[in-house]
Amino acid sequence: MQVREDQHRLFQLLCQSKQPWDVQELAQQAGMDQPMAMGTVTFAQHEGWVTVSEIERLELIASDDANARVCSELPERQFIYVLQKYGKMALQEVAQEAQKLGLQVNEIIKWGTQRGWLQKQGRELVVSEAGKKITPQLHDDDEKMFRLICDANWRKEKLPEAKGEARIFLDQLPALGIDPERVRELLKNRAELAKIKSRTQRKVTLTDKGRAAIASLSVACEEKNQLTSEDILSGNWKKISLRPYDVTLAAELKHVSKIHPLQKIIQEARQAFLQMGFTEVVSPQAEVSFWDFDALFQPQDHPSRDMQDTFYLKRPKEGPLPDAGLVEKVRQTHQNGGTTGSAGWGYQWKPQEARKMVMRTHTTATTVRALAADPKPPRKVFCVGRVFRNETIDFKHLPEFHQVDGIIIDNSASFCALLGTLREFYRKMGFSEVKFKPSFFPYTEPSADVLVWMPQKKTWLEFGGCGVFRPEVTEPLGCTVPVLAWGLGLERLAMMRYDLNDIRVLYGSDLDWLQEVSLCQ
Amino acid sequence: MPVIGISVKYLNALLKTSLSPEELTETLGQLGCDADEPADIAIYECPQCRVPSEKLSQEEAPRRCVICGHEAESDFPSIGSDKVVRLDLLPARSDLFDPGGLSRALKGYLEIETGLPHYHVETPEIRVEVSPDLSLPQSYRPFIACAVVTMPPLDGLLLRVLMKLQENLHWGIGRNRKLSSIGVYDLDTITPPIFYGAASPTATTFCPLGLSKPMTAAEILEKHPKGIAYAHLLKPLSAYPLLRDSRGQVLSLPPIINSNETKVRIGTTRLFIDVTGITQSDVDKSLNTFITSLSEMGGHVQAVIVRHQDSEKITPDLEAKEIQIHLDKAHKWLGFDLKASDLVRYLERMRLGAHGRSPVYYVKYPVYRADIKHEVDIFEDIAIAHGFANLPLHMVSTMTVGEERAEEKVSQTARQIMLGMGFDEIVSLTLTTEQNHFTKLRLTPGQEHVMLLNSKLSDYNVVRCHLWTGLMESLNKNRRKAVPQKFFELGNAIIYSGEEKIPREERRLAFCIIGPDTGYAEARAVIDTLLKDLRKSGQYKPLEHPTFIGGRAAELTTSDGYKAYLGELHPEILENFGLGFPVALGELTLAQAI
Repeated sequence: MQVREDQHRLFQLLCQSKQPWDVQELAQQAGMDQPMAMGTVTFAQHEGWVTVSEIERLELIASDDANARVCSELPERQFIYVLQKYGKMALQEVAQEAQKLGLQVNEIIKWGTQRGWLQKQGRELVVSEAGKKITPQLHDDDEKMFRLICDANWRKEKLPEAKGEARIFLDQLPALGIDPERVRELLKNRAELAKIKSRTQRKVTLTDKGRAAIASLSVACEEKNQLTSEDILSGNWKKISLRPYDVTLAAELKHVSKIHPLQKIIQEARQAFLQMGFTEVVSPQAEVSFWDFDALFQPQDHPSRDMQDTFYLKRPKEGPLPDAGLVEKVRQTHQNGGTTGSAGWGYQWKPQEARKMVMRTHTTATTVRALAADPKPPRKVFCVGRVFRNETIDFKHLPEFHQVDGIIIDNSASFCALLGTLREFYRKMGFSEVKFKPSFFPYTEPSADVLVWMPQKKTWLEFGGCGVFRPEVTEPLGCTVPVLAWGLGLERLAMMRYDLNDIRVLYGSDLDWLQEVSLCQ
Repeated sequence: MPVIGISVKYLNALLKTSLSPEELTETLGQLGCDADEPADIAIYECPQCRVPSEKLSQEEAPRRCVICGHEAESDFPSIGSDKVVRLDLLPARSDLFDPGGLSRALKGYLEIETGLPHYHVETPEIRVEVSPDLSLPQSYRPFIACAVVTMPPLDGLLLRVLMKLQENLHWGIGRNRKLSSIGVYDLDTITPPIFYGAASPTATTFCPLGLSKPMTAAEILEKHPKGIAYAHLLKPLSAYPLLRDSRGQVLSLPPIINSNETKVRIGTTRLFIDVTGITQSDVDKSLNTFITSLSEMGGHVQAVIVRHQDSEKITPDLEAKEIQIHLDKAHKWLGFDLKASDLVRYLERMRLGAHGRSPVYYVKYPVYRADIKHEVDIFEDIAIAHGFANLPLHMVSTMTVGEERAEEKVSQTARQIMLGMGFDEIVSLTLTTEQNHFTKLRLTPGQEHVMLLNSKLSDYNVVRCHLWTGLMESLNKNRRKAVPQKFFELGNAIIYSGEEKIPREERRLAFCIIGPDTGYAEARAVIDTLLKDLRKSGQYKPLEHPTFIGGRAAELTTSDGYKAYLGELHPEILENFGLGFPVALGELTLAQAI
């Protein structure tokens, strides 16, 4: 029988040693790539020349920067030095200090506590006795363990049987005096340092039949891994046999440049409304209170206009009001209902309050501007934009996020048509079950909260609000037909789809996350 | 928004039902309440003033009393526990803040008792004299409305319900006691008539709630926890409002605190209630909401004569109000087939009354429904009574053609080009700090960025006027990962353009490359590629700019009149962001957005 030269080499190697061969090592020594070697082994197995045993091994794969992180810069370690100086710190200061160092507060607290270095007491972070003893020289056992795993050079020295291989397996750890269970435990929550992946190792043992068969093998004439351009052009390819691959082996993933996952959802939301015949509109992010609040019949002392919730601007402090006729209609509507048939709020409306500039608190400011600009039915408009709330930053909150707002101005518009439209929108976004719950907004009546069923979490999640604009909103703007309106959040939807617990990840641009996240749908 | 816990046991007792916490939560949700998961609570008592307080059972026990300010070394003693349904309060529906009001709405919705509730008000026996001083600017709190309510003897639960309702009405209607505030007293400790006048802050002393030491009003504002919390409401005045009885016994210092002597306690049955404030409508609204809820919990209301210098008024007025609705308009507004026979049944289910003949109806609504301003408010009640889950969903049939914004179209194309060139897209925040937006980029903050006035994150008071900060933060975040790295962001830069003008917005594309071999040439290649694919051209000229290395930066004006900047970052900036390789960066305006 004729075999290729490299296959021949491989079989010779098998004959030389009585020990079972690891396929990877065999490939290396025979100068073949692994899929090719595996193909040859599979062929030999079919012929009954070899037996192949498979063992599952767990490989530890340290991340690129694990060594650097572990050596000096685990967040709890960086921060414990700061905390040692003060003994204890208010959580608020912790947040500020952590920001200066570029650290995540939750990581500091989580790991610092887990390692017994610090404790949360009420609204303070306190260094523990163990924490006081931490010095840059003294690393504890866990940290040493991380270091050993992550430092390939060190391993080469300690683990000669690995033969200089860069890989390390969980079952090799006891030889290094490390408890594999402890490593598993630590990495469960610290995936940024290293991951555990299951690998199949194949061992090949020559049979007697194989030994006899190999003795009678001869080498075939020309064999190649890769066709060259010359082979193709010259017609030489006819004499060449190309080696088969093991096509079942997994390949390494490519680096992909991707649309940002949050942008993906924004674009899907835009497409959904465009497909439903909506026209896209925009409005300023730095907005006059008039459009953010007053035009929406929100009284000037309404809690949502509070400094606590709304960003007011220092520059520019005030902005322009629309034409005097419209301002007058809005003033009257607030005060006594004007000509809308409403009782109004019964207070003195002040133009200076309406002139105050804010960062818009909702994109309903955008749609109400669009309504004012052209109130004639039929019209359907939508926008996706950023909105701002005076919040501090934590895993649930950011001071800004995206909303998709829309309105339908139509003679046949009704509350039922509003709910039907939103059901259709969420169906397009991949959610088949939607329900509505009565709610309250100062500018819609009736008002509803929109809840969407999350099959994987088996729960209803609230994604936004909707309603029919009150006549106190529409009539001063010159509109006499019902106007359907909604404002829906996108970040929560993104967190659901990408399985995130921390909203900051969406704005954090961590390359590993950007690579690993599946855009799906 | 405050969250309240409503005792499941008590609510069932009022309803004469035995609904589970989950059933109650579900039904309240259908009614429009913002109901959370049911929870267990523990009840504690202040060892000094004996006032009970509630905490979720997983929360720590209190050690400090919010009423009298007593601070204990150890946890307050627990005196019981309860199961509650939890509601986020909606300011517009202050009639749904307490078990009484909720039971009234639930009775209707569950059809246990429907239609307009009637409240009998007995003829007045007590008089309140109001001094004209309260209309003067230096002691302004002119409006007052009062009532007497006889309750079943108060037990711990009822006392807590009463106090919580009072506090929540302070928030919901009183705007934290500014517009109106409620005082509740044991009438048996008072000798009518009652005098509502103004007094100098240091003239009168009395024991504030929870304390047995007499203090002047000025001292209360300085030392008592409630005084400190609400001092700002009285500080502008030189004489403070004060309620006293005919013996001179102080009832309260509105809107701060009651006196200890006249407080309600376990066993009290006759309550005197006053609401003072700076608007008549909020004073009336607070009183009416409060006493109609007490009525639902077994209270009987008696009126009070309020005598001003030259007029006399009897409060409260609990007469229902009326609004006209049109059936055809309701049908059009809601979009489902509404029968005249169903209409009246639905309205009664929502505790409203109705008479009239199709298509015009006159709807009577109780005084506590302060949210009703327009017939559309009645339409909502009709939809709730019908049940949102039973609505026939559809869409408007009118054909319209959609159209996207120009800046979004060009952004989409630019995104495809950038992704094709191997750049990763990022999304960063619009709000940033002066440090990250200017100083670390060797820029001096100029006049063209928008600034926040009141950010809770004290450093975050700059609105971005370029997109470089997000890119730099991304490079910093990924500084330990393999290079080269390439990022881009598409977003709006917000530019302040002068006094009283709305800031402009430009849609921009910004990108950066970090790596050992990057430089001006690479940034230039990216921009030229973009321009070609977007079918634009541009004029380059050298740029001296503090952010870039001298001689390695350019400004570009595109054929459609927009600017672009590109270059190699100054090494000091690399240091500022903790980077170890050269960075090339560029920013191109794609379109005017606002």
